[in-house]
Amino acid sequence: MSWLRWRVFREVTAMALRDYLRTPDAVFWTYGFPLGMAVVLGLAFGEKPPDPSRIVLLAEPAAESSAWAGFEKPATDGLAVERSDDAARAHDRLILGAIDAVLSGTPDRPVIDVDVARPGAALAELRIDAALRRARGEPEGPRAEIRPVDEPGGRYIDFLIPGLIGINLLGAGIYGVGYNMVQMRVKNLLRRIHVTPVGRAEFLLSWLASRFGLSLLPPFLILLFGILTFGVPVASGAWSWVVALIVASAFCFGGLGLLISTRARTTETVGGLMNLIMLPMWLGGGAFFSNQRFPEFAQPLVKALPLTWVTDGLRDAMLGSSGEGFTAPVACLLLAGFGAVTCLVSFRIFRWT
Amino acid sequence: MSDGFSAAPAIEIEGLRKVYDGKVVAVDGLDLRIERGEVFGLLGPNGAGKTTTVEICEGLLEPTDGSVRILGRTWRDDAKAIRERIGVSLQETRLFEKQTVRELCALFASFYTDPRPVDEVVDLVGLGEKRDARYKALSGGQKQRLAVATALAGKPELLFLDEPTTGLDPQSRRSLWDVVRRFQAEGGTVLLTTHYMDEAEVLCDRIGIVDHGKAIALGTPRELIAGLGAAHVVELEADGLDLAALRGVPGVAEVEDSAGRVIATVERPHETVPALLAAVARAGVELRGLSTRHTSLEDVFVHLTGRTLREDQREDGR
Repeated sequence: MSWLRWRVFREVTAMALRDYLRTPDAVFWTYGFPLGMAVVLGLAFGEKPPDPSRIVLLAEPAAESSAWAGFEKPATDGLAVERSDDAARAHDRLILGAIDAVLSGTPDRPVIDVDVARPGAALAELRIDAALRRARGEPEGPRAEIRPVDEPGGRYIDFLIPGLIGINLLGAGIYGVGYNMVQMRVKNLLRRIHVTPVGRAEFLLSWLASRFGLSLLPPFLILLFGILTFGVPVASGAWSWVVALIVASAFCFGGLGLLISTRARTTETVGGLMNLIMLPMWLGGGAFFSNQRFPEFAQPLVKALPLTWVTDGLRDAMLGSSGEGFTAPVACLLLAGFGAVTCLVSFRIFRWT
Repeated sequence: MSDGFSAAPAIEIEGLRKVYDGKVVAVDGLDLRIERGEVFGLLGPNGAGKTTTVEICEGLLEPTDGSVRILGRTWRDDAKAIRERIGVSLQETRLFEKQTVRELCALFASFYTDPRPVDEVVDLVGLGEKRDARYKALSGGQKQRLAVATALAGKPELLFLDEPTTGLDPQSRRSLWDVVRRFQAEGGTVLLTTHYMDEAEVLCDRIGIVDHGKAIALGTPRELIAGLGAAHVVELEADGLDLAALRGVPGVAEVEDSAGRVIATVERPHETVPALLAAVARAGVELRGLSTRHTSLEDVFVHLTGRTLREDQREDGR
């Protein structure tokens, strides 16, 4: 290929690779940061016993206390019980959400006050009901079984890992390709290269190839970390799609990075462009929380974000479903197509100076 | 260094004009012809149009009007062929900070069809001992030599050096001059811009002085100096001297006032200096200083542009 010479490709890719490896802070932000984030978020939302329902038992301290005797240590029922005779204060705490329910009356005719609008209300009701049955020594009978979701594949960490991979690839493309290219323009390096016979597409493709290669490893490290530490599931047949999605995403975001770098002359301009692209994706790309909760009118917008394609595709491949989102094959096609278009447009409109 | 496609001049500029934003005229009808094998110096005050002219020659800027042929070819038709045959050291370029001398030379060499071997380039600019040092660890002079090395990597026939020694110590400047001389000895052509008159005088075969976008003088350093009409300069430091009276002193070719000093160009200082001193004595002013020297290119520059290059640099805040 006369427009792409092997030695230019070799030298430019090697240069970009060395430049990266000789920048310790860049290595930290691509490897250390996402792993640290996975640890912190994993600890915050990972496997831990569900919070007990906090209730206040309104009862006279001495006289009637024996009536509630079976209620003294209801740890197995997931209740944290506090005795009090101050009904007004208990009511206030209930309204403020500091407790989940107030129990009063007698064990035979219990009264449960709950704020039904609060997420913990129904659970508290069920737990109190179970505790009362046990206290009265009634047969188990038909009672609701409380089953918190903690199976691999259904936890937040399982949802989060695909999101972190997407965010990592987005950063690698926008920062690694785009920002660094503008830096070269600001430092007059592109101008210096422009006065040599090197071709535009030849140089850009070689540069992109190096940054593309560099961006491929961290996603697999994040994934590996998730699998080893939190047991994040990847179905045995899903690996090829996971690999394809990561490669296509790296290409897509590399192209996007290249596109924002084609004309920007200052780091301020490219900084603005980076925010313009990254902020909507962080918020609406489904990385940290589901974007399927956005209202109907916003759905076309969030579905148009490349980060949505990555997170949907990876969740579909790894967890077996992306809900209302894109399937892995569709996501792959969208990402590769978007990457090809942004690269071709960049090659055409790129300016050295 | 052989040229297979023509024996045309290295650079041929005819009626060159460059107007920025439709109003700022940077180059105003410049004609210039630089022959193969010569080191040509383009001098002029800041804002005279030197860098604009050089950047048009390098293919970085489009002219508004006029024609430029580089090695017999035009940028419009043969940009790639020209780039294969020229080497450029731009003003104020920082190279990749974390790459070594050798890596940078290899990078730039890869861009050319028939590059010079990398180690040869490194040795050519005397950076052999620094070949594995990273760019940011180099001194100013070494960085400049490396910039020239990357310009030499493609075996150019024509080398553009835009203020290659600005800010360098005398020793670094001299070692860059050696690089230029060696390149010329191999048959290369150089277009050089500089702020240093001594550099132009030592290195350049011919010099063009531009001001307000036009060439106002052209010739060898010797010719330009001879153009002043006398070979020596007498500088008198005194207040209240009557320039007209001094001009009347026999043997004085020219008298100018330059920042509180009176500069007289004379043919025979041993005869004219006593006469000048007598004139100062007659005027009854106190003489604070007296010196004589050979006429230099600096004097030519001051005579033609009314400014010294150093004054100019100060205006620029450099």
